Amino acid sequence: MIASMKDSDELRLNAYCDGELDAVSAIEFERRMADDESLRAQYNRLLSLRRAVRSIPQYDVPPGLRARIKSTVDADRPGQVGGPGQAGRARQAGGTRQRSWSFQALAAAAVFGAVISSSVMLTIAHYDLQDDVARQVVAGHIRGQLAPQPFDVASSNRHTVKPWFTSRLPESPQVVDLAAQGFVLLGGRVDVVGHDPVATIVYKHAAHTVSLTTLPPGRSVSDQAIAGYNVRSWSDAQFTYIAVSDLPSADLETFERAFSAGSPAPEVK
Amino acid sequence: MFDEVFLPHMAEAYRLAQWLTGNANDAEDVVQDAALRAFRGIRKFGAVNARAWSLTIVRNTAYSWLMKNRPKSVVFTDDLSVTEQRELEHESPQGTRIETPEEISLSKADAEDVQQALAQLPAQYREVIVLREINQLNYRDIAEITNVPIGTVMSRLSRGRQYLMALLGDRR
Repeated sequence: MIASMKDSDELRLNAYCDGELDAVSAIEFERRMADDESLRAQYNRLLSLRRAVRSIPQYDVPPGLRARIKSTVDADRPGQVGGPGQAGRARQAGGTRQRSWSFQALAAAAVFGAVISSSVMLTIAHYDLQDDVARQVVAGHIRGQLAPQPFDVASSNRHTVKPWFTSRLPESPQVVDLAAQGFVLLGGRVDVVGHDPVATIVYKHAAHTVSLTTLPPGRSVSDQAIAGYNVRSWSDAQFTYIAVSDLPSADLETFERAFSAGSPAPEVK
Repeated sequence: MFDEVFLPHMAEAYRLAQWLTGNANDAEDVVQDAALRAFRGIRKFGAVNARAWSLTIVRNTAYSWLMKNRPKSVVFTDDLSVTEQRELEHESPQGTRIETPEEISLSKADAEDVQQALAQLPAQYREVIVLREINQLNYRDIAEITNVPIGTVMSRLSRGRQYLMALLGDRR
């Protein structure tokens, strides 16, 4: 399997191949490719694919189809026996109007075109941002691994960890006990993503640490590998969750299921 | 006006219909249907882009035709369950779950292999690849024709191409 490429780079590469990058971005990308063998390799693969797809013999329009269409359409005009009259009249009425829209429509299309081409860059920028979030969360995990311990509050008791979060953060997640599923709660810490503090719950599975960071909802990142750590992300109504671990992805999938299933219903007092 | 707007794009329309329906006869039916729709709707044509407009009609006609005649072959995001739909929309553009080979053995893959591989793709990936590589439309036009945001077009293209590479790479 090819080493993970950032989502934004994958999109950038496709956009470059399709001539959809603006001139400045295209030149920047060419420079990057000159130095990056794996980018170049993927670029060549895309070109090979393009050649292959375009080499498929193209279907020719069957002879007579054009004539058949013309006669079908003619039968639809007014004055023909049995033909509906509406379309024909509309056609006549629309005829003169057609010429006056041209300039306005052209001007609108030019503006529209400019907006749309920046949509390509906006899309790439969005993925760049998400990639960045993922990287920061992984950085938090790595820092946790390097610190004397990966948590600021140590407790296997969710009734200790949750209030610790609540006293420090505007929104704090339900802390779930997953010992039965093999993920022991170690504690929690506060990480920073962008300029905002976020809650990270720390679990242990065999010799492996899992950091589960919670973010505002709707910002899930793609599953990926960063710096040798696997990242898995999902969202619910309240939070986006990003799990980081050196565990294999399959185990992270198990973790996601266990956590989602174990999320307790709101406590009834 | 129909002659200026729709007829010049007939060859493209036919090719697109072929890819969406899978055979020549059905493609013909679809193009005839689409031509009629285009003719009747011509007064609504106020845009500059005759090609995108015409191909949008062809695409929609093709899917209507498929829904009517071959409903089982059409799977659209609207038909998927909410979870599957969410999965589809949030999938990574590079699809870490797809194993792409180090080299595509394209020298060994002949046109038939490529055609088969393309036919195996899920509809929403196949159509953006066809519109891009065969109809050679830009992202904006593809977005207009398939009625999704440009970001979705980009993501589907990227992922569809990964699928194709994986399928073609398997051949020895």
